[in-house]
Amino acid sequence: MQNKIAKYRKEAGLSQQDLADLIAVSRKTISTVETARFTPSVIIALKIAKHFNTSVESLFVLDKND
Amino acid sequence: MSNYDIKSEEKFMGQNAWFSLFMGVTLLIISVYPMLNQTSAPLLFLGTAAFLGSFFMFVIRGGFTWRMKYTLTYKDEYLNTIDTIAYKHVVLGLLFSMGGVYLLSDTLALEVSHSMMATFYLAVMNLIYGVSILWQSKD
Repeated sequence: MQNKIAKYRKEAGLSQQDLADLIAVSRKTISTVETARFTPSVIIALKIAKHFNTSVESLFVLDKND
Repeated sequence: MSNYDIKSEEKFMGQNAWFSLFMGVTLLIISVYPMLNQTSAPLLFLGTAAFLGSFFMFVIRGGFTWRMKYTLTYKDEYLNTIDTIAYKHVVLGLLFSMGGVYLLSDTLALEVSHSMMATFYLAVMNLIYGVSILWQSKD
């Protein structure tokens, strides 16, 4: 599963640590989610989407293999 | 849960990984050294020195942990995941090392005591846990 979190984050001028602090997760969570090494829970996905005022579907894109 | 708790937990896990590595090396020395040298005479001195070395490395690396306020009230999602995976790695590593010892048991039995083998298994578990956490934590 790919995602556009890094793009949204950079557009908002936030560092990974800033975003992690805003949604109360560790920086490693943000780092690994952005690089698609870790698939977050629905709760974290919703928190990120809510922070960027967008939908989960616009942040996360399913691969053909998913 | 606060950002302070999360950062503390993140730091705590990093320290834990390093401490596991140092402790693993310590236990490995304690368990393997007597076998290589056919003696356990310097074991107490060596073990104590290695443990103190590990402990101070842990303290320095961890940034003087007694100042930290850490409570087991919250577990970050990713940190919880890598912790669980690390334990799985530990179990797998333990099984493989026990399998190896089983296959070599006839040649080892006369030279190695049960306490040395127990220490060796603990060393393997510590090393695998530390390496697994550090490997999974990389960006």
